[in-house]
Amino acid sequence: MKKLQKISIINCMMLALNWVIVILLCVFLCLTTNNICEHFIARDFIDKLEAFPWQPVRILAEAVVMMFLLSASFLWRELCLKENSRLEVPSLIFDFCISMLLMYVLNFNYNGILLWVFANIIFRIKNSKGQFVFALLAMLSFVGTDYGLISIQYHFYNIEDYLEYYSSGIQSYLLGGFNLLFSLNMVLFIIYCIFVIQKQRGTIEEVNELYAQLSQANEDLQKANVELNKYAVMKEKMGETKERNRLAREIHDTLGHTLTGISAGLDACLAIIDVAPDKTKQQLEILSNVTREGIQEVRRSVSELRPDALERLGLEYAIRKLIKDTNSVTNNTTITFDCKLERLKFDTDEENAIYRVIQESVTNAIRHGHATRIHIMMEPQNGGIYLSVKDNGCGCEDMKSGFGTAHIKERIEMLKGHVEFKSSDGFLVEATIPIRWGEEYD
Amino acid sequence: MLAAVIVILLAAVLTCGREPGVTLEFGMIAGSNWDVANADSCVIIDKAIEKFEKNNPGVKVHYYSGIPKDDYSEWLTRKMLKGEMPDVFMTLSNDFDKMVSLGMLENLDDLIQADTTFDSERYFSTALAYGEREGHQYALPFETVPTLMFVNKTLLNKEGFAVPENDWTWDNLTRICERVTKDTDGDGKIDQFGTYNYDWTEALYSNGGQLFDEDGKKCYLNSANVAEAVKFVESLNAFNDGEKVTQEDFDGGKVAFMPLSFAEYRTYKSYPYKIKKYINFQWDCITLPAGPNGSNVSEVNSLLIGISEKSRHKQLAWEFLKTLTYDEEIQLNIFRNSQGASVLKTVTGSKEAEEILKRDTEEGDKIIDNELLSKVIENGMVTPRFAQYEDALAMAEGEVLKIYEDEKNVDSSLKIAKITLEHFLSQ
Repeated sequence: MKKLQKISIINCMMLALNWVIVILLCVFLCLTTNNICEHFIARDFIDKLEAFPWQPVRILAEAVVMMFLLSASFLWRELCLKENSRLEVPSLIFDFCISMLLMYVLNFNYNGILLWVFANIIFRIKNSKGQFVFALLAMLSFVGTDYGLISIQYHFYNIEDYLEYYSSGIQSYLLGGFNLLFSLNMVLFIIYCIFVIQKQRGTIEEVNELYAQLSQANEDLQKANVELNKYAVMKEKMGETKERNRLAREIHDTLGHTLTGISAGLDACLAIIDVAPDKTKQQLEILSNVTREGIQEVRRSVSELRPDALERLGLEYAIRKLIKDTNSVTNNTTITFDCKLERLKFDTDEENAIYRVIQESVTNAIRHGHATRIHIMMEPQNGGIYLSVKDNGCGCEDMKSGFGTAHIKERIEMLKGHVEFKSSDGFLVEATIPIRWGEEYD
Repeated sequence: MLAAVIVILLAAVLTCGREPGVTLEFGMIAGSNWDVANADSCVIIDKAIEKFEKNNPGVKVHYYSGIPKDDYSEWLTRKMLKGEMPDVFMTLSNDFDKMVSLGMLENLDDLIQADTTFDSERYFSTALAYGEREGHQYALPFETVPTLMFVNKTLLNKEGFAVPENDWTWDNLTRICERVTKDTDGDGKIDQFGTYNYDWTEALYSNGGQLFDEDGKKCYLNSANVAEAVKFVESLNAFNDGEKVTQEDFDGGKVAFMPLSFAEYRTYKSYPYKIKKYINFQWDCITLPAGPNGSNVSEVNSLLIGISEKSRHKQLAWEFLKTLTYDEEIQLNIFRNSQGASVLKTVTGSKEAEEILKRDTEEGDKIIDNELLSKVIENGMVTPRFAQYEDALAMAEGEVLKIYEDEKNVDSSLKIAKITLEHFLSQ
């Protein structure tokens, strides 16, 4: 805040100095013209001139009006305009135009006012592209408005011609005085620039520090993400192993046990079938019961493998719960579900397969495809159902490596269905599943 | 605050623009531009203003009176520096170039183009060319004055010569000068001369030559025309045997020829000046003698009037400029109230003009009839008016004077002088 005030003070000083210079130049022109006319040397005087100021008093008046406009614009900007206002740039362009007009009125004998205008621009324009454009503009216009350069092409009056009217002693004082004022303006401009640079350097350092902090945080986050990924893969593998073990145990405990029993029973039947057919029949009846019980047992095992929701609440609710849970867990992924089937009630294995396909596809879409939108669609097709899961993620080039896809394929093929994976625009899983409508399992 | 300033400025601009009646300012020379006395200098202007104001009701013309020719440049420059330039003003030939280069004279090309009633062919081409620079017309001529040859009729008659015809040549002049240059009182010194003030530049113009080009880039001092002219004048001066001819000799009727302007001719031929000057002898004016490569032409000067580039009433200024320079009635007044000739061919060639010219002449005078006058003006020589012309001319004259005084070789000296002059011009 202190620096800001200092900058404003220097700016005001520059403006005041420019007032002094412009007024002095115009008054000098008026007085010298008067002197020349009073001393009856006008005709000899104009021999040396390339051009002369038309109506010096009017030039004074015009210069005062323009300086007044510049001051008004400056005060308005300083006092009324908020920072980064949309009117900032137009007001600076206005200043630039007025200063050009002022220099034209003074026939480019003085272009120091441009320094003041650019001091304002440097301070106000913060975007680096804009600063570059304005710096280029400043340089070009400052060089381009130099009297020596501009008077080659156009006829403009030269203050120095008017200086020559005076004796060499007075001339050197006048010239020295003017040069002192011009230099003072330049010095103020340089001091101003230094303050602005210092202020901006402070800001840059702050930004740099913040940036360093941010990149450190980002790095940490990335590390954590990698760890998390590793952990997830491990967890999945662990889950898989656990599941397989359970499955093996289940098969061993139920199916293995029953089949062993059936096998032993059948062996006994073979041994006694010729000797005691009735006994064999009895035995076979027992075996039949055991088999039925085994089927019951298998069914129970399968039921145990089903996810809870599916088991308890049915497929539709389970799918909606899956969507709801996923939506709530991932905050940037939206899953939509479009079901054109009236009733979602199938056999357990079918329901299982559908649920697993959806679950696997959604998991893949989020984990591997980084999708933000997933659309699930189910509709009746040729007596079966058509199921599609489409996402807008990055897809997957090499599908063979995907564990989940093999799993899905396995499940659908077990039901004699067909599944396809497409990875053109996002990832698409399309499955057609034949349904045993109302057919009893047993 | 900003809005208030703008409103005040607008109001100021609007009130300035709405003047009830327009006043044109006119800057003019009091007296004559031709260095002869003129008591009636304002009469023509007054008549022109009267006519203009009648044709343009509501418009007034104001002029600054009483500025003699010598002070006019200074006065006009002061007006210019203060930004009070008159809308229409006379421009002396010395100032013309500077006024154009400072952008004070309006380029008249557009005004001339836009005015269907205006035909620049009606001006003498030499007079019109006087107001031209780099192909643009910046001023129009108001009055024109050719150079003529003064002839001492009494002296020629005494020596047995008639006044030469108007198509006479250098040879005629040489013959006459050879015969009239002599010692009449027997004191051993020549006291009767052929020419006074007739110098090589006049001879050069009538020999079809020029010293500089229009924009002062080239000098033709080494051309054959110049060498011939210089040698011719040298041969004439040789008759004088080293005696210097003075104004007293001329006024005392001891010189046969002297170049003088048409304005001087008219002044000293008319009352009251004709009883004050050249009263001891009869005199007349004829054309200048033609050189081998030229004709009977001489320098023509014109008084120019232009419009200020800063004038706010350019169309009115143009109308007033036309009244002054293009109106036959006004232009005829030049013969009545001034000493020059009209810049319009029809006026200078008119019966009325002839009548006015005749009125002043005495019986037996071989008067300059207006047909001859028209020819002299139309075929005359317009000297360039670039910025350093006066200085360059003075330098050239100095160089030739050195040739005469040191009796140097004319051709080689002129070649050297040419280089010196071109060096000067290039600076």
